[in-house]
Amino acid sequence: MSSIEPIDRRGRIAVVPARYGEGMVGGAEIVLAEMGRRLAARGWDVEVLTTCALDHFGWENVLPAGESVEGGLKVRRFPAVFEDDPERGWLDHAVATGQPLGLVQQQRWINAGMRSPEMYHHLLDHGEDYRALIYGPYVFWPAYAGSQLLPEKSVLWTCLHDEPAAYLDVFQPVLSGIAGLFFQTEPEHELAHRVSPKLAPHDVVGCGVEVPESYDPQGFRERYDLPERFVLYAGRREGAKGWEEMLAAFGRAVEGGLPLSLVTFGSGDVNPPPSLEGRVFDLGFLPDAERDNAFAAAEAYIQSSRFEAFSRTVMEAWLAGTPVIANGGSDVVRWHCERSGAGLVYDDEAEFVECLRLVAEAPDMARRLAKGGRDYVLESYTWDRVLDGVEKGLSTWTTP
Amino acid sequence: MDDAVTAERRERVLMISPYPPVRDGIASYALQTVRALRREGLDVEVLSPGPTAAHHHLDLRGPRGALALAKRIRDYDRVIVQFHPDFFYTDPGSARARLAESTALMVPFALARRLEVVIHEIDGRFGDPRRPDGQVARRLWHLPESIKVHTASERTSFINDFGVDPARVELIAHGADFRPHTSMDRAAARASLDIAPDAFVFLGIGFVQPSKGFDRAMEAFDGLAVAGARLDVVGSVRTDDPDMVRHAADLADLAASVDGATLHLGYVSDELFDRWIVAADVVVLPYRNIWSSGVMERAALFGRPVIATRVGGLAEQAAGQTDVRFVDDDDELRRAMIERLPLADVPATPSWAEELPEGGDLRAELQDRVRLRASSRPSLSRSTRPGAGGTTPAATVAEVGLRSAPLRRLPRVGPPDTNHGRRSVRLVKKLLRKATAFQVDPILARLNELQDATIKALEAEARATQARPAASGTEGAEPAATRSAG
Repeated sequence: MSSIEPIDRRGRIAVVPARYGEGMVGGAEIVLAEMGRRLAARGWDVEVLTTCALDHFGWENVLPAGESVEGGLKVRRFPAVFEDDPERGWLDHAVATGQPLGLVQQQRWINAGMRSPEMYHHLLDHGEDYRALIYGPYVFWPAYAGSQLLPEKSVLWTCLHDEPAAYLDVFQPVLSGIAGLFFQTEPEHELAHRVSPKLAPHDVVGCGVEVPESYDPQGFRERYDLPERFVLYAGRREGAKGWEEMLAAFGRAVEGGLPLSLVTFGSGDVNPPPSLEGRVFDLGFLPDAERDNAFAAAEAYIQSSRFEAFSRTVMEAWLAGTPVIANGGSDVVRWHCERSGAGLVYDDEAEFVECLRLVAEAPDMARRLAKGGRDYVLESYTWDRVLDGVEKGLSTWTTP
Repeated sequence: MDDAVTAERRERVLMISPYPPVRDGIASYALQTVRALRREGLDVEVLSPGPTAAHHHLDLRGPRGALALAKRIRDYDRVIVQFHPDFFYTDPGSARARLAESTALMVPFALARRLEVVIHEIDGRFGDPRRPDGQVARRLWHLPESIKVHTASERTSFINDFGVDPARVELIAHGADFRPHTSMDRAAARASLDIAPDAFVFLGIGFVQPSKGFDRAMEAFDGLAVAGARLDVVGSVRTDDPDMVRHAADLADLAASVDGATLHLGYVSDELFDRWIVAADVVVLPYRNIWSSGVMERAALFGRPVIATRVGGLAEQAAGQTDVRFVDDDDELRRAMIERLPLADVPATPSWAEELPEGGDLRAELQDRVRLRASSRPSLSRSTRPGAGGTTPAATVAEVGLRSAPLRRLPRVGPPDTNHGRRSVRLVKKLLRKATAFQVDPILARLNELQDATIKALEAEARATQARPAASGTEGAEPAATRSAG
């Protein structure tokens, strides 16, 4: 329960993830959904505004538009519009590679991706019904468009990464002119100050992580017919997450004699090379309980992404007592590893291979390394602690 | 005079293959076969893809090449094709090109009176019956009277992948017709190659390309240059493909960082090829993938032991050979090399299990050791090694590593991602990728080279900076101008 009293919880708040529902993969969206449920449990009037899509590649409207009640929350779904805009491809590439773009082009880019005009017009028509709207992450159209429509009511679960898009002019008003910004870590907070000299009111509140009651690593291995010793990767298997590069480096480690397999679950094509036949196991989507078991069964968890605002999967690994091997290019994950003492970072392929060798050759040492991880998560990233910060922000930055 | 015999027309055979003096494993293989057939009294002519010692030459790639071949093929009683996709397909990776070119290739294949095809390499995915190009490929491979492969696993794969009648797919010994190209003995061969008589020589030989795995041999050889042991990698780059040229340059950098390893890059004649084998103590074949190996046959021809990775059909190919040791990974490759050394007292690579830190800041200690071990191992991906032998202090490695870390963390620049949730968009992205590759790829290669060069320069500068106070401390003060000039 909250440690901050009294809190004025009057007025409706909306959490606005771009996607919401079973089978969706996306860290920020999952966190916003859980935050909505937990804020409702603390007495807030919460509803979810989202699209009919679950997949962030095609944005197909797979769920019906309209109102429903899901997980105890009122959900309003609006169609996602994702057109075959010929400009999008090159604009995406230009943004991803940091090419200088004028403001007009930046606006074309943000509008060439998924949009939801009906959601926008709902906010236009009914914005006054809400005390606050919590968007996230910053880079999706609903956060950009909605926060510009009702800036005084808009709060952002920022999820800022050190990527070229963060530096675009179009996001400056989002970072500086709305009611408030939530950050999950100090490195994200520092990055925001580098990106935008005049930040909107903000606070570092952390990120809530579910704590499983128990784990069944052996049963998990048996149910999925997995080898005894493996490392794990969870999430989106795509270039932006460093998947392909990590897979190639893992292949070279195996070539060098590494006696570990790689288990992965999440979205995207895995595409293991023929040389890794029988060494890579793709489990697709896993139910929550089995996700937890996967983390417990792994010898180490690999976080290959350079673009992380928090990295929930790293926390899930530590809760399960599993050490982390992470791309040192992510300031946030490196910060977690240094503070917790429960993970190693690599700066290139040779260091990645050496980390894997450590896990293979000295598993007890690797487990010892992970020891501080669970306490680190429990001390810093419980939902109660995070919600205290969120409520403080909402009550300070918005009015009923 | 036996007019009946002389008047009888000899069987006319056309061999379609790369051919000497072009240096190529398949060319050598074809030469041996031609020699054997001619000794049997057959009238053998050779047609090669380019000008060579062959009787005819013809660019065989593409539909035009296939149709030009069709015009000539009727003149022979028997046609033998040494098949490799690169000889007949302009872009073997393109399904569309394969569809057109397999269709055209059906014409000469159908016109040949007796057609034998010796398969040297083929990708089984090309026979996928769900795709138009796969269906055409399956029809194409129904046409030859006989198809020859070198190992049982190749035979099984080919039958399954292309739906061919098993009765028409034969196994033949890879080295059945091989003859030596040199008469030198070991002492003479070594003298001619400037190799000391008592040196222990590991040899990697063949085209320098990633699939041959010569980098694996170099990494495994690190620290084994004891008692005169050496590793010689001998070969040339087969194509001027930027990736291949770059690989050769990386391999040269790697060789420079491994004591006792040398890369001999350049043209290798058949005679020189055999001379190297004669001069060697052990031939190392660390292939990443291959169907069968002509080098293994030539090593057997001269009675040289072989260490090879267990890939493709090599194990079956070696079944009749006495001294072939197979390994599954680089650790085993290293152990196999050590076993061969006359003096096997080699400093072992410490296992993580043997050097566990106790007490203190466990994470910080492990992180430092990761950096130290990574920087002291030779690696094709990281040729900025501080120096073989592991004598560089950990603090120096850590400092040098920190200087270059921001650059090393940057991923290699690769081609644009063609992944997308919608199949149609994926297809378009892939087409665009192909259309722009000729412009984009050289730029990507240069960017990656610049990244490597900058890392090297930064680390060299960091090491020099670290070395300066030590040098000035031991040798006394030195004028700044002198230091910077040195």
